[in-house]
Parts: sequence; structure tokens; C-alpha cells
Amino acid sequence: MTLLLPSSPLNVVDALRGDRAARPLANLTSASGLRAQLEDGIYEIIGKSNPDSPLIVRASSLRQSATTTDLSFSAIGRIRGVLINQLLRLHCVGEHVDNAFEEAVDAWRAEVGANELHSRLEQMDDDERARLATDVTAHSVTLLRSLGPLPSRWMPRSTVRATQRLAAGNVVLRDVIDLMMGMNDAHSACVVLLDVTTSPLDEAAERTMRYHALVETLRTSIVPLRTSVFSTATGELWSAGVDHELLTRSCHEVLHAVDQLWKSQ
Amino acid sequence: MTTLLHRRHTAEQLNELIESAPEGLIALNDDHRRSLSARFRGVASNEHRRVDAWSVERAGQPSTPFRWGPTTARRTIGNAAFRRVASKPELWISDAVHHEIDDLLLRALSGSARAGSLGSWLSSLSHPALGLVSAEAMNWATQLTEAAQGLDYPWLIPASDAYYDVATARTTLRGRRDLIVERDESRIIIRLRAGAPGKSAGPGLRSDMTIDALAHVDGIAPARFIGLWPEAGVLLSVDGTMSDLRAGARDLVRTAVVQRRARLAIAA
Repeated sequence: MTLLLPSSPLNVVDALRGDRAARPLANLTSASGLRAQLEDGIYEIIGKSNPDSPLIVRASSLRQSATTTDLSFSAIGRIRGVLINQLLRLHCVGEHVDNAFEEAVDAWRAEVGANELHSRLEQMDDDERARLATDVTAHSVTLLRSLGPLPSRWMPRSTVRATQRLAAGNVVLRDVIDLMMGMNDAHSACVVLLDVTTSPLDEAAERTMRYHALVETLRTSIVPLRTSVFSTATGELWSAGVDHELLTRSCHEVLHAVDQLWKSQ
Repeated sequence: MTTLLHRRHTAEQLNELIESAPEGLIALNDDHRRSLSARFRGVASNEHRRVDAWSVERAGQPSTPFRWGPTTARRTIGNAAFRRVASKPELWISDAVHHEIDDLLLRALSGSARAGSLGSWLSSLSHPALGLVSAEAMNWATQLTEAAQGLDYPWLIPASDAYYDVATARTTLRGRRDLIVERDESRIIIRLRAGAPGKSAGPGLRSDMTIDALAHVDGIAPARFIGLWPEAGVLLSVDGTMSDLRAGARDLVRTAVVQRRARLAIAA
């Protein structure tokens, strides 16, 4: 017999919070070194030339591989991802969700209006739409059950955007963090980053985690406490404390992505 | 000579920009106001025009008509929520945002909100769409809280943006401002911006600063006007010098000229 517990013994928020007493001191010095490392690396790649348009690096640039096809990049996969993100945003502000699919679509409509993905959703026949609704509902159950309540004192905010210009604007790092909690503090590291994906976790998810930490460090000049990724497909959570090694590794990955983008121009 | 400064956004850099703001008060007098009014009157307009830093940054090019959305509503609700948190520190930002939205909805339900107002738009939204508006407002209010908490100087939240009606020119200027920092006798204005600064961010800041000086009862300009782009981690500032105020006024008039030309082109 299979028993389904009403909630997992440890939810994602508890795991992200960790042991308050064990938090490291705020690292206020790494950002400039990382920026210099990126600037030097970009100069080695593009030299003095000016690309026609800026090379834009996103978390997805680090995810894509030339040899594999990720189904999460299909239109349906992207729509599912967007809708789960809307549900996360609603959960973040304490909204109770009864009908996950319809409410996520409503929220999405309010956010963007008409776009290509939205038209795709509108063009779906009843069967396709019902399949997507079931899929979104299943993912949302995993998400909301695992996440747990988000305490207001953690100042949760969703879809936090970041942009960093490097090499005199020739390279732009863009990022959107699905959920950010904690506020920057001059004394100890407090900010936690969470990426929510509807795909199973793999090496690319690790790169995404590191990328979020790097862009956040460059944006605020303060190293965040933890960066994490949660899969609504498997209910897995990967979380890592942010240190200099993790950030340096992400710098290398960003430079590799810049190199690929430059070669493809 | 421009006084535009570019810094990374950290609490130390923000405090340093406030600390190093120029001493001495620069004021716009009646002659300056009359001269500006004459220039705006020279740009004929059949309808009442509104000019702000956004139209200056877009060089007067027509933009899509304003409509409420989660991103256009976030500043109004976020600032009001931040004001509530500042007056009641035991309140969390999320609660303050909910209270603010509830108040706006109550106003709309009681018939006090006029058509097209934020309250009336909110009352037309579905439950999930309201949640999304709250999420955006919470992000805004948190960014503002982070900026304000790091300040070493006393600050206050302005009751409203700066508005200045140019006499007999059918023109209203609007200067946005999110925090006023008091340093001795002078004031430093901070404006929170979304996204990343573009090439015209400097003229935009100068316009906001000029409008703030015009709206001041004695015409006193802020010692420094700081634009804060948290998403890009950037601070830009301009000083309240007479040359910057003149440049700001010129940009505002030029924008009105371009707007008029665009209207004439559409009419033709």
C-alpha cells in the first residue's frame, strides 16, 4: 500500500533557511575580482572588435547544448514553465490557488498580454489544452507541497530581473531569478536564490544555479548565501552555499557561452 | 560641463554620493520661471501637454498610450506600501502591499475612485491578476526598502511626485522622486528606476531635477539627484548646478517641440 504524506518532512523553505547560526560573514570583496576576470576573458575572446549588436548571455545560453534537444524548450514546455512561474508568484504573495491552470493563465494574461506563446496557447484544441492543464496541475501540486509557506519576514520576491553590462556594453548578462528571499546585510550573507524548473535536474541546472549566484554578486557586490534549483518534475532540490570557487566556475561557463555566441556571429 | 557620475550600487557608494553632494543652495528665481514659460508658450499646443523625464529620454517620440498593468501600477502601490512600513515598522512589506490594494479596492467599491484610476482598474481585475500586481509591487517596495535601510542620513518619503504647471503655456511638468534625503540645509533626491540606464538616462535625471526645483516653493534645487537602477546595480547622479538646471529646462522645451512636430505630422 502506498501512503501519501500531506507534506514532506522538510520543505524547501526550511532547507533554504538552513542553520541561522552557521551563516558565513557577508563577502563584499569578491565582486570586483569576478568582474575583472570576466572583462579580461571577454577581451581575450572579442579583442578590440565591436559586435554589431551586444552578445546577450542568459541562463538558457548556458543550458543549451548543440548535441542534445531539451524538450523543455518546446512551445508546450515553455508554456508550462511560464504557468508554473505564475503560480510561484501567486504563492509568493500568499494567494490561495484553487484552479492552478486557469488561474495561472489569468495571471499570465495580466502580465504580458498577447505574444507568440500566448497565441500558441489560444490555438490549442480542447485535448491539448486539457493535457496541458493536467500537466500544470501536477507540477503545481509538487511545487506548492514542497515549497511550504513563505514567511513575510524573509521578504520573498519573485521574478527578480538583473542586467549586467560588460566590455563597454558589448556583452550583456541577463537573468531572471524565480524566487529570492532575504535582504542584503553588511554583516552576514542572507540572500537565497531559487530557480524553479519543470524539467528534471541535470548538469545544466547546476550551471543555471551558479549563473544566478554570479549575476546577483555582480549586481549587488554582495555574495548571496545560497543558490538552489527545484524541479517540479521530480520534486528534487539542489542547493549550494555560494563561495568563490562556485562563482569562478560560473565565470568560466559565462566566458564559454560568450565564445560560442561570438563564433556564431 | 556635465556633472553626471556613474557608480556601482552599494550602500557605501550611495552614502558617498550623498556625502559628496555639492554645498550651497542654487535657486531658480522668477526670471527663470518667466523665461521657461515664454519658451513653452512659443511651442503652440491645442491641448494640455504633459512632459516628464520619460518623454525626455524618448526624445519626445510618441509612445504607446498609458494603460494600467502590473508594471505600471507597481511604483504607486509599492511606494505607498513602503510609506506604511516606514510609519509602522512592525508591518511586513507583503502585508503593507495587501493593505494598500485593499484600500484602493474599497475606494473603488464605495464609488470614490474615478474611471481610469488605479483603484477602478484594480477592481476590474481577476483574483490571480491582483496577485500578480501584488507581486510586482512587493518587488518594488523591497528594492526601495533595501535602498533606504542602507542610508546613513535621515530620509523621508515624498507625499507625491513634483508637479509644475507652466504659467499660461498649458503645460504640466512631472518630476518623479522616491526618497528625499536631508543633509544639513540641502536635500538630495533619489529616484528608483527599473531596468538598466540607457544613453539618455542623464538628460532624464536632469529633467527630473529641474522639475523638482521648479516645484519647490522657493525654487531651490536639490544638491544632487540620484537615479538608482537596482536591476542593473547602477547609480547615476547629476548635481543641482545652474548649468545642469538650464540643460534640464532646455531638454524639456525640446521635448515639447518634438511632441508638437509629431502631432502636426499625424494631423497632416
